[in-house]
Amino acid sequence: MTAAAEPRALPRRRVSPLTKAWAFVRRHTLTVFGILALAYLMLPIAIVVIFSFNDPAGRYNYTWEGFTTKHWAHPFGPPFLGDAVGTSIKVGVIATIVSVILGTLVALALVRYHFRGRGATNLLIFVPLTAPEIVLGASLLTLFLNLGTALGFWTIVIAHIMFCISFVVVTVRARLVGFDRHVEEAAMDLGANEYVTFYRITLPLIAPGILAGALLAFSLSIDDFVITSFNSGTTQTFPLYVWSQAQRGVPAEVNVIGTMIFAVAIVLMVANILFQWRRTPKGAVA
Amino acid sequence: MTFLHRHRWLTPYLLLAPGVAFLILFFVVPLYYLGYTSLQEGTVQVGYTFNWAWDNYSNAISRYREQFFRSLEYAGIATLAALLISYPLTYWIAFRGGRWKNLLLLFIIAPFFVTYLIRTLAWQNILADDGFVLNALQFVGLVGDDGRILATSTAVIAGITYNFLPFMALPLYVSLEQIDTSLIEAAKDLYASSTKAFLRVTLPLSMPGVIAGTLLTFIPAAGDFINAELLGTPRQAMIGNVIQSKFLEITDYGQAAALSMILMVVILALIVAYTRLVGTERLAG
Amino acid sequence: MTDPRFNDPLTRGQLLRRAAVGGTALTLPSLLAACGSGGGIEGQANTQPATTSVKKELAGEMTVSNWPFYIDQNDDATRFPTLEQFTKETGVKVNYLEDINSNEEFFGEIQAPLSRGQSIDRDIIVPTAWMAARLLNLGYLQKLDKSAIPNMANLEDSLKSPAWDPNRDYSMPWQSYITGLGYDPKKVGGELTAVSDLLDPSLKGKITMLDSMEDTVGLFLLEMGVDPSGEIDPSAYDEAVAKVQKAVDDGQIRKFTGNDYTGPLAKGDVWAAIAWSGDILILQPDNPNLKFTIPDAGGMTSVDTMLIPTGGDVFTASTFMNFFYDPEVAAKVTAYVQYISPVKGTKEVIEKTNPELVDDPLVFPTPEALENLYEFKPEAIENPDNQEKWQAVIGV
Repeated sequence: MTAAAEPRALPRRRVSPLTKAWAFVRRHTLTVFGILALAYLMLPIAIVVIFSFNDPAGRYNYTWEGFTTKHWAHPFGPPFLGDAVGTSIKVGVIATIVSVILGTLVALALVRYHFRGRGATNLLIFVPLTAPEIVLGASLLTLFLNLGTALGFWTIVIAHIMFCISFVVVTVRARLVGFDRHVEEAAMDLGANEYVTFYRITLPLIAPGILAGALLAFSLSIDDFVITSFNSGTTQTFPLYVWSQAQRGVPAEVNVIGTMIFAVAIVLMVANILFQWRRTPKGAVA
Repeated sequence: MTFLHRHRWLTPYLLLAPGVAFLILFFVVPLYYLGYTSLQEGTVQVGYTFNWAWDNYSNAISRYREQFFRSLEYAGIATLAALLISYPLTYWIAFRGGRWKNLLLLFIIAPFFVTYLIRTLAWQNILADDGFVLNALQFVGLVGDDGRILATSTAVIAGITYNFLPFMALPLYVSLEQIDTSLIEAAKDLYASSTKAFLRVTLPLSMPGVIAGTLLTFIPAAGDFINAELLGTPRQAMIGNVIQSKFLEITDYGQAAALSMILMVVILALIVAYTRLVGTERLAG
Repeated sequence: MTDPRFNDPLTRGQLLRRAAVGGTALTLPSLLAACGSGGGIEGQANTQPATTSVKKELAGEMTVSNWPFYIDQNDDATRFPTLEQFTKETGVKVNYLEDINSNEEFFGEIQAPLSRGQSIDRDIIVPTAWMAARLLNLGYLQKLDKSAIPNMANLEDSLKSPAWDPNRDYSMPWQSYITGLGYDPKKVGGELTAVSDLLDPSLKGKITMLDSMEDTVGLFLLEMGVDPSGEIDPSAYDEAVAKVQKAVDDGQIRKFTGNDYTGPLAKGDVWAAIAWSGDILILQPDNPNLKFTIPDAGGMTSVDTMLIPTGGDVFTASTFMNFFYDPEVAAKVTAYVQYISPVKGTKEVIEKTNPELVDDPLVFPTPEALENLYEFKPEAIENPDNQEKWQAVIGV
């Protein structure tokens, strides 16, 4: 028997610096592209934030004149900005609460039950998501015009609930689909009836999904312009205020409010992410 | 309580009832009224009467054909641009993101939280005739010395692309993230190169996301009017601008409703085609 | 999990059941429609003008809708001195909204509720004369309480009796304006004297025109030698409109604007615009180079008029009108906005406070200058053919 041969060292391949460079570029192109794309996404936001600190010469906030924090000190200085923001918040809260309740119920039905009309319900939920806002807004307007309803706060609320329901359904449904029903079955085995099980077990476990749906609904409502502009009459929400001011000089305070809304939303989302990171045991898939 | 126990089949309908009723009342019924209004004729002074005014439709198509096609064109280009930007971006996050996935995703969603109008006005500022972007482009030679970006179709399409990017990116991300990486490993074990693995495995598996994203981007973009209003000239007017003006300024409700109906029909056709492709179960998530 | 039953083709029973459901769906909206108006959207005004018994007490607050840059204010439009003075003297808080950008846009907003006799939460609105005439004819306005407006005697004689409201029962002028050319001479490279100067190729994409037909087409008609305040020959109208259309097609015109030409003009994106006289002067802090000029062939003019819409508080609104017809107050407003005041005695007050303005032909035009200003015939503005042709040009 021959002795085991020494493993021969493989000859070192000559890797030219060009090949090395190309490999480096290939590996990192995607990253570079990704970072550039994210920068592109954030550019306008950066402008909005920066110009909230601008001290414009006249009415128009276009060129950088000087740094000031006075807009942050008195964000509701311009007349009617405060009212518009207040209206937006009120509409948002009401629309969110109603659409979350209605949407969660629909999502529960769609995920857990088989019933006639399931396909039609899916379609009914889906179409408002994709239809152009202008069609949604215009058709609601024709409803109100033909019925002689006064346009104002409540027509805005109705419009917002309408387009939020679908988003809530989709969000909650995503959470429900991944839900492990064994926990519920265990609870029922232990003597709880359906209602207690739902209240004590199911609801807390799908709460993150409901919260996500609520956050989504609220931000959609605060942000909505097109549908609102068709159905608001002379009532002003924050986006409507911005539109009306766009023609005669948007005050820097609008940048301040915009930044504030943005910051609050980001904080909430980051908190949600951190919360989920902590809840997930290390090594497990989220 | 026992009523529901005995009539279990009732439960889903009870759960659905409030939401569905609301949507029927305030989504379906208005569409009926849209159609009803589109067949009305009149002005504010004399009042509006329903008299089967089909010429609202024929007038609409003949007078605004240009704006219709332009809307489809702009929306199409913007959707394509969004796809080209989003695909590598979401691929990067889904496959190379690791722990930071959710955080990076936040960057995509973040612009969404700044009011649409404010974002678009920021672009007005960025693309201004004496702003740094234009100066940079002129320096590089991409734009002539007396050229501009703002108030051109380029600006409008760029605005639409930017504003609807999350609608393309999120469905793409969802479908890319769900791809089982072991499939790609298997392909590589079978001697496929990275490129081949991508083309033969990843790309086809991500198609549902691509289709969903395309639909979710193209359709709202076609009806948009804000970008054209703030970033364009009358020559960039989209059908959305016409509808908005006819409803809210000129108050020619009959023709405005006819235009909206036509837009809606085109959209519905696209949705039906999509539904056939994908089945109603995949629709709402 | 999909239930395979739902993928089968429709059975006859299912089809019938679906048809029944669909049938119910069709009758439901007609039920709702029966609850609403009969034949369509309510377009007609309520035929009786709103008769409110005029209470002789002031409301706690009032709301005014006006054009931008039309009242004295501080640099970023957060404080209005004359309004504060009004509040001090009367105790009435004024919500002053600058939400009129163009007459048509504003009309679109207020038309639906007013046509049903509903309030639009405004005590005073200030559209241009021809729109005021339309609102009056539709029955959307309330009569003034003249007993609360003794200062009506200060109304300039030339404005005392317009054709559409001969006794000034429903309206009081706010300011008169001149439509001409606003531009930056440095950017344009010279002086402008005619509206067709805007069509110079060197200004391609750098000009805006007003979306109000009477302003833009009016200027073009004047240059053609046609008087827009008289009978306008349809072929002349078409020719003027065609000129504008050509400018659109050539990419000459950047935008058709309401009052929103001011932003781009201030910013430098627009070098020249068809503009309103006082605006240019208010833009000075943003862009000191801007200039306004009346074309040699003539400029357009009209009057923006205070009205009390349905639902407004007549006594409080009338008191407001009266306040601004005090020459001292009117002078303060005019000194800032630099439009033409309808109040007699303003000139004398301004001589003492802002003497340099007295000679400004844009604020106090001489009789000869007034000869060169024309008001577009209101019937021609409301003519549906003219409107349709114009709408085709501005792209709607």
